[in-house]
Amino acid sequence: MGALFSIFSGLFGTREMRILILGLDGAGKTTILYRLQVGEVVTTIPTIGFNVETVAYKNLKFQVWDLGGQTSIRPYWRCYYSNTDAVIYVVDSSDRDRMGISKSELVAMLEEEELKKAILVVFANKQDMDQAMTPTEVANALGLPALKDRKWQIFKTSATKGTGLDEAMEWLVDSLKSRQ
Amino acid sequence: MFARLKKKLAEEAATAPRSGVRIPRTISKESITSVGADSGDDFASDGSSSRDDLPTLLLRRNDQIRKLEAKLSDYAEQLRIMQKTKDKLEIALEKHQDSAIKKLQEQSESHQAGRAKMAEGMTLALEKKDQDWMEKMEILEKEKTELSAQLQDMMEQSLTLFKKRDDLDELEGFQQQELAKVKHMLLRKEEQLNQQERQLHKKEAEVQSAKRGLSEARGKLQTLEQQHDESCRLNSELEIEREELLLLREEADRKISELEGKCQELQSVVQQVSEDFQKSQSMVSTLENSLRDLQTEHDSLKLQQQKAAVTKEEKERLLVDLQKKVTSLERRLQGNLSQDEHLQELLQEKSILEQSVAETRAELLTVRTNHADTVSSLEAQVSRMSCSITELQTLLRHKDDSSRAYRERTDTQVCNLEQQVLECSERLKSAEQHITDKQQHMDQLRAVWSAEKAFLDQQVCLLQQQSEEKVARLEQSIVSLEKDKQTLRDRLADVERQSDDVNATLTQRMEELEQCRLELNSRQTLSTEIAKALEESRRQKEELQKQVGEQATSLQSSQQELSTVTEKLALAEENITALQNEVQSGQASQVQLQEQDERLRAQLKQMELDRDSELSSLKTELLSQTEQLDRCQARVLYLEVEVETLTEQLHSPAVCEDDHNGSVTVDDLDHIHKVNRELEQQLNDKNRTIKQLQQRLAELKRTLQKELKLKSEPEAEVKEKLTESRAEKQERFCPELSPVSTLSPPTSNTTVTNTSDLNDSREINFEYLKHVVLKFMSSREAEAFQLIRAVSVLLNFSREEEDMLKQTLEYKMSWFGSKPSPKGTIRPSVSGTSTQWR
Repeated sequence: MGALFSIFSGLFGTREMRILILGLDGAGKTTILYRLQVGEVVTTIPTIGFNVETVAYKNLKFQVWDLGGQTSIRPYWRCYYSNTDAVIYVVDSSDRDRMGISKSELVAMLEEEELKKAILVVFANKQDMDQAMTPTEVANALGLPALKDRKWQIFKTSATKGTGLDEAMEWLVDSLKSRQ
Repeated sequence: MFARLKKKLAEEAATAPRSGVRIPRTISKESITSVGADSGDDFASDGSSSRDDLPTLLLRRNDQIRKLEAKLSDYAEQLRIMQKTKDKLEIALEKHQDSAIKKLQEQSESHQAGRAKMAEGMTLALEKKDQDWMEKMEILEKEKTELSAQLQDMMEQSLTLFKKRDDLDELEGFQQQELAKVKHMLLRKEEQLNQQERQLHKKEAEVQSAKRGLSEARGKLQTLEQQHDESCRLNSELEIEREELLLLREEADRKISELEGKCQELQSVVQQVSEDFQKSQSMVSTLENSLRDLQTEHDSLKLQQQKAAVTKEEKERLLVDLQKKVTSLERRLQGNLSQDEHLQELLQEKSILEQSVAETRAELLTVRTNHADTVSSLEAQVSRMSCSITELQTLLRHKDDSSRAYRERTDTQVCNLEQQVLECSERLKSAEQHITDKQQHMDQLRAVWSAEKAFLDQQVCLLQQQSEEKVARLEQSIVSLEKDKQTLRDRLADVERQSDDVNATLTQRMEELEQCRLELNSRQTLSTEIAKALEESRRQKEELQKQVGEQATSLQSSQQELSTVTEKLALAEENITALQNEVQSGQASQVQLQEQDERLRAQLKQMELDRDSELSSLKTELLSQTEQLDRCQARVLYLEVEVETLTEQLHSPAVCEDDHNGSVTVDDLDHIHKVNRELEQQLNDKNRTIKQLQQRLAELKRTLQKELKLKSEPEAEVKEKLTESRAEKQERFCPELSPVSTLSPPTSNTTVTNTSDLNDSREINFEYLKHVVLKFMSSREAEAFQLIRAVSVLLNFSREEEDMLKQTLEYKMSWFGSKPSPKGTIRPSVSGTSTQWR
């Protein structure tokens, strides 16, 4: 059956885009995933492992992988890197203390050979919080302006309010289409 | 259709008479069996009852028999009724049969007629269909032939492609030759370049020689400058002379000033003289003044004389008045004849007045005399003064004479001095002239020097220009050479581009070839499919001759299937190519991973070697330590023995020899106590070191066990005991040797978090493993394929195992291909040898 499905999906030219949602624990990856899939805010528990969902957006199908971001299971991210089209890196904008850790993880991730062609979308999440950093501050804190040979964009989002996600996905879809 | 109907009818006919008989039979059977069953039950129940109940039982039986008889009679009646109904039914059946037979006959007749018609139509249709099919067959055969022709063409094309490939190879050979030529040319050009560079070097040497000339010229310049310095020195000497002359001049000036001082002195003398003269003049003036005063005094005296004269006149007038009075009084006297006294008195008064007049006259005379005296004295004074004036005038004259003489003298002196000054100035002028001459000379020298300098500068300029020209020429040559080089590079680039183009064309050709092959394959498969379809169609044709209507629909369906199958085939081929690519990439990654594996193995080996060496060193150290320990213990024992003996000695002499040499023994005792304390301290130290070493040993053991447990290999379990037994001998542990590096995931060298964390977390994240494995099992293949990596990392799969998993998943996902064999990658859990790691 799976083979049949894959063949028919190949027939209609809609290859599933593989997207990873990464970020430190408590950044809101799972909330974003389900906000994208069902458009609702779900109550989440810390993800030990991962969640994978198929999200359709503008005639494109995404196989979205939300990998748990806890420190002990962060090393396993690299097991999922192959054949990835885009990486959504979620940052908790109100968590100024761990911005450095987030940066180091991002840098380590971007150095991977398997992710050389992946598009990077940074979600400066939790913009509804009072002490949230602005997207430019987040971008500077993550050292994004120094990135070379990488198509990236930062969006201010709020997974609970649902703001900014549509623009980000639109940008992602456009860039993925233009890349094909 | 009709046949079935007929069959049905026949069956109905056959079953109808039977069923009528059967029904009652079945009923009866049922009833009997039910009765029998009842009785049996009763009997079984009765069997357990006693004989006393028999009459009652009999009564019950009788009742039952009666009931059964009643039932039997009922049944008989029913039977009778049934038979009646049966007869009725038989009659009705016969009637029905007759009508049915009639109807059947009619129907069969009509059916046969319709059938004949149908058969005719069918045959006609069949023939038509047959013809159509034959045509179709012919068409298909034609297509087949065409396809075979195409196949041949394709083969030819492939041959031509091979040829082209050969040509391309040749072309590549030519290109390589050309490239070699170009490289050769480049080399030659580089040689030329080298030559040019050598020339450049030569030119540079020339430049250097020119520079040397320049330096020589500079040397000349320096000599000239030295000359200039000499001339300067001369100049300075001249200036010194000038200064000397100036000094002379100053001396002369000084002399002049001295002379002027003298002159001034003389002038001051003259001034003094003139002052004296002025004094004398002033004296004269004072004298004249005094004279004038005297004259004024004289005048005043004259005035006083005049006044006195005036007063005398007044007194004379007063006297006259008084005489008048006297006369008047005398007349009164005469008028009064009797007053003699009055007359007397008046006479007296007259005498007094006359006396006073005489006195005043005397006074006046004295005053006159005084005045005259003073006038005379004053006149004497005046005369004296005039005498002194004359004296002074003579003195003045003398003085004037002397001053004149002096002036003359000073004039002569001044003339002399002026002459001297003139001489001095003349000398000065001559000196200045000398100086100017010297300066002129110097200027001349300077001019000469400047001329020389200008000449030399010109020479230098010329040399520089020459050198610059040379440099420019050389630079031009360099530029030209560089241009040459550039052109060569361009040519090389062109050639490379050409080669790239050729390669591109080659790849294009290859692609074309590939496409052709694909087409060929598709055509072949198509042809086979068509053949299959043809066979199927033949079979279907045969069937069609029997069932034409069904065949038409089935044909359509088969055609549809054919088309779908061809589509699927195309898809499958695409899939195959994609999978081949994936396989290639997988192989590449496999090679990479094998390399990494080899590296890791090498590291492992080295580490093991290091550990072994460390172990041996630790062993030796342990041995030495134990030896030391033994020695220490032996020593301790010896010392204890000694202490005991000493204490014994201490005790024994304390008893017997206390009186003889008590002081000595006390000293000895103190000494011994000291020694004892020291030894005890040493003992304590040794014990402490031993404890520390034991602690270290324990730590080492623990780490080793941990490490060995972490090794998931079964061989580790075998090794563990061995190493544990070894570890007991170990004492020290080297912390820089990380014990877990062997078990890290294959590419953990680049991860941010260190591997030890990863291993620790493995225990913590059993939950993670569980979740991943659960997902791996439950998710669809596309997702599961992505999870292979994670699972294999989490479970420490070897490369073969991971590949095996991938292959099986690919097999599941794809339609074709054989199930991959395990290839012995799944090891039995007991066979633990290190060869599987290597």
